[in-house]
Amino acid sequence: MESYSNQPVEGFPIRTAYVGSVCIISASQSAIVQFGDRAETNAKLRALALQRQEDHLTGGDVFFESYAIFDRPLPELIDPDFDRGQVVQLQRTNCSPHIAVGHIQVIATSSSASLLVGNGMRLTGESRIKHIRQYPRPKPFPPVGC
Amino acid sequence: MLHFKVINHQLCVGQIEILGVSSASMMQVGDTDIVSLYAMFDTPPESVVVGPIAPFPLPGNAAGTEGE
Repeated sequence: MESYSNQPVEGFPIRTAYVGSVCIISASQSAIVQFGDRAETNAKLRALALQRQEDHLTGGDVFFESYAIFDRPLPELIDPDFDRGQVVQLQRTNCSPHIAVGHIQVIATSSSASLLVGNGMRLTGESRIKHIRQYPRPKPFPPVGC
Repeated sequence: MLHFKVINHQLCVGQIEILGVSSASMMQVGDTDIVSLYAMFDTPPESVVVGPIAPFPLPGNAAGTEGE
């Protein structure tokens, strides 16, 4: 995966983003809004969404460790040739040094999301969400004669 | 060896409207080298509603519609 950044860019090697105006209503829960360049982003989100009949104060805590989804390894590309840059030769040509956007209107960014105006090099985002319902099982019909 | 040639000509956008960016996702105006986004989502079957929950009223021109 290192191989792309070393490959040639013709024309204008770095493009600059020009944005007229940005309007964001909400950036919450570790969301990032950045104007400018960034090298590396590593955004992670772990969430346990629990719906239960009982009150959360009496229902007790839940733990990430109890569920396999939170420590399951990420799928990985194993290809030594690709890592050495021998599979794809990427050549970029930027004819213009600008990227222009008039206006950006966003209602909400949240949960480790990133809104970036500028160049980035490597972005890794990871979200693991587990939904749980905690309700008593519906009672089976009573046997005949009761 | 695959040779992949990209030519970026002029890029001008009038307006971008977004409802929401969430769950370790991204929105970028600019160039980037590598993007990897992973999402794992686990939900019980009860949370998936099959079919309409509330009965919808007939549309205004119900007589002229094709139906299912």
